[in-house]
Parts: sequence; C-alpha cells; structure tokens
Amino acid sequence: MNFELNENQSKFLIRIADTSVILGQRLAELCSRGPFLEEDIALSNISLDLFGRAEELYKIICSLEGNKFSPDDLVYRRNERQYFNLKIVEQPNEDFAWTIARQFFHDCYAKAVFETLKNSDNSELAGLSMKVLKEIKYSHMHAKDWMERLGLGTEESNQRLQFAVDHLLKYVEEIFDFDELDKMFLPNYKEIESNWQSEINQTLTACNLNRKEIPPLSMRDYRDGFHSEHMGHLLSIMQYLPRAYPDAKW
Amino acid sequence: MESGDKVWEVFVQKKPGLAFKHVGNCHGYDKKMAIQNARDLYTRRGEGRALWVVPAEAIVAVPLDDSDAFFDPADDKVYRHATFYTIPDGVKHL
Repeated sequence: MNFELNENQSKFLIRIADTSVILGQRLAELCSRGPFLEEDIALSNISLDLFGRAEELYKIICSLEGNKFSPDDLVYRRNERQYFNLKIVEQPNEDFAWTIARQFFHDCYAKAVFETLKNSDNSELAGLSMKVLKEIKYSHMHAKDWMERLGLGTEESNQRLQFAVDHLLKYVEEIFDFDELDKMFLPNYKEIESNWQSEINQTLTACNLNRKEIPPLSMRDYRDGFHSEHMGHLLSIMQYLPRAYPDAKW
Repeated sequence: MESGDKVWEVFVQKKPGLAFKHVGNCHGYDKKMAIQNARDLYTRRGEGRALWVVPAEAIVAVPLDDSDAFFDPADDKVYRHATFYTIPDGVKHL
C-alpha cells in the first residue's frame, strides 16, 4: 500500500496523529496493570482520548488525500519508518514515574499545538481542536498533580521521577527542531518552545527536581521516520492482529 | 493502595438543579486526588455535570446493632402515611 502524502496539511497532521496513537498505545499497555484501580482507569481513559484524537486526525488526513487509505490502514499497515511520532512518546513504561513524566512533557506540548490549531482555516480541524483542548486540560492537570506528588513525596518517589525526567529530556530537543512544515502550521513556534521550556522549568523546580544539562542523543529526526529501538516492539504488538488476520473485523 | 489513603463517598449530580445521588466510593490521598478519581470512575459515560466527594469517616451512620431500635417502631404506624384522605379533583401535581 502506498502511504505517500501529497498535501502539506496532512504531512504535518500525521506527526500529531502518530504521536497521539503511539502514546495511546503506551498507556493502553497499562490497562489492568495500573498502580491501583482508580489510576488504572484514569490512564485507560487518557489512552482512549488519545486514540479518539488520533482517529479524528487520521480521518482528516484520509479525506485530504482523497481516501486512498483508511485510518485503520494508516495505523495497522504502516511500518516503523512510515511513522512520524515524537520519540519521547514511544519510550517504555519503565515505572509509574516514567509514565507521568512522559505524559506531562507531551501534554505541555500538545496543549500549545492544539491552541494554535483551533484557529485553523480547516473548520473540521478547528472544531476538533476545541474538543481536544478540554481533554488535554484534564490530562495535563492529572499529570502535573502526579509530578508534584511524586517529586515532593518520598525520597524514593523523588529519585525515580528525577531518573525518568533525566532520561526523557534526551528526547526533547527534536520536538523543537522545527522544519518548514511545522512553521507553516505553527506560526507561533518560537513562543511554543519558550512556553514549554518555562513551564517545564517552573514545574520541575516546584517539584524539587533538577533540570540537568542533558546532552541530546545523536538520533536522526522523527520527521524523517526515525525511531528509538522501542518502536518496532511497540508496533509488533499493536499491529499483530490485523497483520496476522487481515480479514478480521471488529 | 497503601497506608495514607482514604475512602471517599462519591455523589453525582446529573444536571443542575437535581439532587446529588450517592453512586459509590473511591480512594484518594487528598481532596484533589479523590475528586479526580471519582471523575474517572463515575462520570466517564456522561453520568453527571457535578461531583461531590466526602470523606467516608465524616459520615455518621446508625450502628448496625441499633437498627431495630431505630427503625422497627415505624413498621406498624401506617397512619403516618398521608393516604387517609381523598385528593380533590383539581389537584394535579401531588
């Protein structure tokens, strides 16, 4: 199947859609494995929001591309190099602190992106963004509260969160290495980065965490379909069923 | 959950103006966590527009052993039901 995209808007949106679906999959892995019942359901709720968001974005992409493929095709039939998600969201659930730090970093960024997209000329995208912003507001609050609880909790919770933050910061640089396409759809890209940095710095300080000088990884850009070693494993699980049983209906 | 958590009773209001109804309980270390957990457990299918959580320990209940003394005396006093008069024809909303 040929997944080449022709429209600039769909080339840009697939980055957001892929980021949503991959983070959704990471959170879905925690279903029935949450630290306690209420949190298990909270993470599954957020996962479902991310899948729903991704599906709506894929629908917009499919219609921009003349419906040559469906949202299911995009999710289940693309290979690793055909995915354009941020590397930070494919990082595994090492422990609850990783899950929370990853979510918080993502939500701060996603909030800014959809704030901008709600002014899009594409009315479908603008409408979707309004709806998505409410979901992100909740998810962001949920993640931020846990940042505080873990950062200001026990010595162990603080250390674990610090470890997660140190690791995940390695994947931040590429987010803000905006290319022409990003700049076309996020004209306020400079503000997006500076707001993200200041929110993260403030939160880390308030949570008794340090922002260390983290040398970025020399990994190639997610915009060209490059990934960390975890992505293939994630896809092999996510895509197993439709690849093994192509005619399956659900 | 481990020590330090509390049980909270959860009340959901379906829409503004209606009474809050008890729907169950949830865990939470603090008020904020309790209200978020309640939201995730009890309103994920659009069940309400407002939520209360109340620490379960704040609820005063009739001790189980005393329930006979509290409630049995009402069993044989049917005359306390306001059903012993006829309703005038014109009354619609009673």
